[in-house]
Amino acid sequence: MKKFISTLEKILFYLVLFLFVFIPLYPKFPLINITGTFVAIRIEDLIIGLTLGLWVIYLVISNQVRSFLKDKLSLSLLLFFFIGFVSTFSAVFLTHTVTPHISILHFLRRVEFILLLPVVASVVKSKKQFVWVLVFLALTVVSVNLYALGQQFLDLPVISTTNSEFSKGLILRLTPGARANSTFAGHYDLAVYLVMALTVLSALFFAVSKKMKLIILALGGLSLLVLIMTAARISFVAAFAGVVLALLFSRKTKFILLIFIAAVVILIYPSQLRDRLISTATVNLFSGGQRYVSQTQDQQVRSKLNIPTLAIKTSSESASSSSFASPSGQTATDITPGEPIDTTQLGVYRSFAIRYNIEWPRAIRAFVKNPLLGTGYASLDIATDNDFLRSLGEVGILGTLSLFLILTEVGKRIFNASRYDSRLVRYFSAGVLAMLFAFLVNGLFIDVFEASKVASLFWMILGLNLAALKFKE
Amino acid sequence: MKKLFIIFSLLLLIYMLWPGPGKISDFKPLPSSIKSTLSGDTVEIPNVAGYFSDNYRQFVTSFYKSNYWQKTFLPFPPIRLNHPPEYSWTAIKKHTDSTYFEEFVYPLRDSFYVNGFEPFYENFEPKFWGSSKFEVENRSFYTKTTLRFYPSSKFTKFLVWLGVVTSIYWLFKLGKKIIV
Repeated sequence: MKKFISTLEKILFYLVLFLFVFIPLYPKFPLINITGTFVAIRIEDLIIGLTLGLWVIYLVISNQVRSFLKDKLSLSLLLFFFIGFVSTFSAVFLTHTVTPHISILHFLRRVEFILLLPVVASVVKSKKQFVWVLVFLALTVVSVNLYALGQQFLDLPVISTTNSEFSKGLILRLTPGARANSTFAGHYDLAVYLVMALTVLSALFFAVSKKMKLIILALGGLSLLVLIMTAARISFVAAFAGVVLALLFSRKTKFILLIFIAAVVILIYPSQLRDRLISTATVNLFSGGQRYVSQTQDQQVRSKLNIPTLAIKTSSESASSSSFASPSGQTATDITPGEPIDTTQLGVYRSFAIRYNIEWPRAIRAFVKNPLLGTGYASLDIATDNDFLRSLGEVGILGTLSLFLILTEVGKRIFNASRYDSRLVRYFSAGVLAMLFAFLVNGLFIDVFEASKVASLFWMILGLNLAALKFKE
Repeated sequence: MKKLFIIFSLLLLIYMLWPGPGKISDFKPLPSSIKSTLSGDTVEIPNVAGYFSDNYRQFVTSFYKSNYWQKTFLPFPPIRLNHPPEYSWTAIKKHTDSTYFEEFVYPLRDSFYVNGFEPFYENFEPKFWGSSKFEVENRSFYTKTTLRFYPSSKFTKFLVWLGVVTSIYWLFKLGKKIIV
C-alpha cells in the first residue's frame, strides 16, 4: 500500500506540473458545447477532473481525510462550496433566476478551480519539486510572451472567446490595432496572467544568484513589454501596485522609487496603453472630449428613445443618410449622439459605460433581490467586469464573505512566511502575497475569479506557496 | 449571541413561510381593463396574465405594489426593482413587447414582475414609428400590462432557510477562528 501511495503521489505531482504548463499554453478550443451558453467544456477541465479524482482517492487511502477536514482552510473551502450549493438551489427553485444546468455547471467550475489549491498544497512535497514547478512556470511565461509577440508581428493564429462565434474555436489573425492575447483567448486574461508573473518575479529577483537575476530581469522586461501591448489599463495599475507591494513585503523599499520612475517612463512613451489611460482621464474623469452631435432627424429621435429596438419613422431623405458616420472617415460607423468622436476615447467611453450602465446595476439588482444568497451562478449574463459585485449578485453576502474567509486564511499563512529561513520560500511568499492583492485590484474591473485560465493558475500558485511553507514545518 | 441567532433564525423562518399569494389569479385585475386571451397570456406559460387598458406606468406599478403588499400581510412593502425592458424576454416570455419592466420582490420569498407596453405618451403622441392602439372586443386601448408571478413551495423555502441559517452559523464559527 505504501508503494501505491508513493506512486500515486508521483503521478499527482506530474499531473500538477503538467497543469501548470498546459492550462496557460493550450488555446481555448471547445471540447463539449453546452446548450444556452458559449462557455464550453474544454480538455483541461477533463484533466483537472482526473487530477481531482485521483487526489480524492489519495486522500482516502493515505488516511488524510480526517486531517483535511480539521484544517481551517479546508473547512472554509467546504463552506464556500456549501453556500454556493445553497445559492444555486435557491436560484433554481426559489428565485427562478437561472437556467438550472448552466448554473450547476458554473457552480462546479468554481469547485474545480478552487480545489486546485489544496491539491497543489498537498502534492508538492519537497523543495526540489517546488523548484521544478518554478522552472516550468518561468518557461511557460517565456512561451506565452513569445507567442503574443508572434501574434503581433508574425501573424500567428489567434484563438478568442470574446464572442459566441469566435468561441467555437475559430482560427483568427490579429486585425490592425487589435491586441495580442497569446494563448489566453482575451487580452485582459493575458494581462492578468502577466501581472501575476511580474509580481512574483519582482520578489523572486532578490532570492536568486546574480546569473539568475539577469534571467528574471529579462523575463520581467519581456512580460512588461507584452503587458503594455495588451493596453489593459486596470492590469497596468494592478501590476504597479503588485510590484510595489512585492517590494514592500520583501523589505526592499529603496527599489520602489525605481518602479515609480519606470511607470512614468512607460506613461510618457507613446503606446496604446498611454493613449487609453489619457482617454480615461479625459472622458471618464473630466467628461471631456469632442462628442458626436446628431446629424439627421432619425438620430435626434433615436437619441431620445431609450429602447433601441423600437422602430422610428425614417423618411426617404434621412434613410439615405441615416448611417451615423462615414466608414472611411475617422469616426466609428456605429457612433451615437453624445459619444466621443475620437476612436480611442470612444472605446474607453464604451468600456466604462457598459460597466456603469448595464453590468454593475444588474449585479446590484441581483444583490438587492436576494442579499443573503444572490440570484445564483450564471444569473448575471456572461460578465459583470467587477468580481466583487458579481460575487454579491451571484452568491450574496454569505458567499462573498466565505470567499474572503478563504483569501484571509491563505493570506495570513503566507504573510507569516517572513519568519522562514529559506530565502526562496520567503521571497516567493512575498511575491505571492503581492500577487493576491494585485489579483483583487484586477477584480475591480475584470471577472478574474471566473476567467478559467487565470483563476485556475491563481489558486494553484497559492497552493504552491502553501506547499512551500510546509517544507520547514 | 446564541440567543440573538436563534431569534433571528426563527424570525427569518416566519418571514419566509408567512402566507402570501400563490398564483397569478390571486392578484387583482387592472382597473378598467380587459384581460388578454392572446396566446402566451393565458395557459401556455404558468402564472402569466395580460391586461389591455389606458393605465400608465405610475398607476399600474403603484397599483400592483400595494396589491402584492396587501396579499402578503407583511408590515413592509416589497422591494421595487427597475429592470431594463429587454429583460422581460427572460423573466416573462420571449417577444414580450416592453417599454418598462419592474419587479416587486420580498427577498427569499416570491417575485412579481410587471411589464408595460406603452406605444403612446400620456399626451397620446406616438412614441415610435408604427405605434398603434390595441383593438380588443371592439374597444381600443393605449397600453398593455403583462404580469408574471414566480411562487415557490413552502418546502423549498424551508430548505433554503435551513441552508441560510447553517451557512450563517458556520460562517460565524469559522470566521471567529480565522479572523480573531
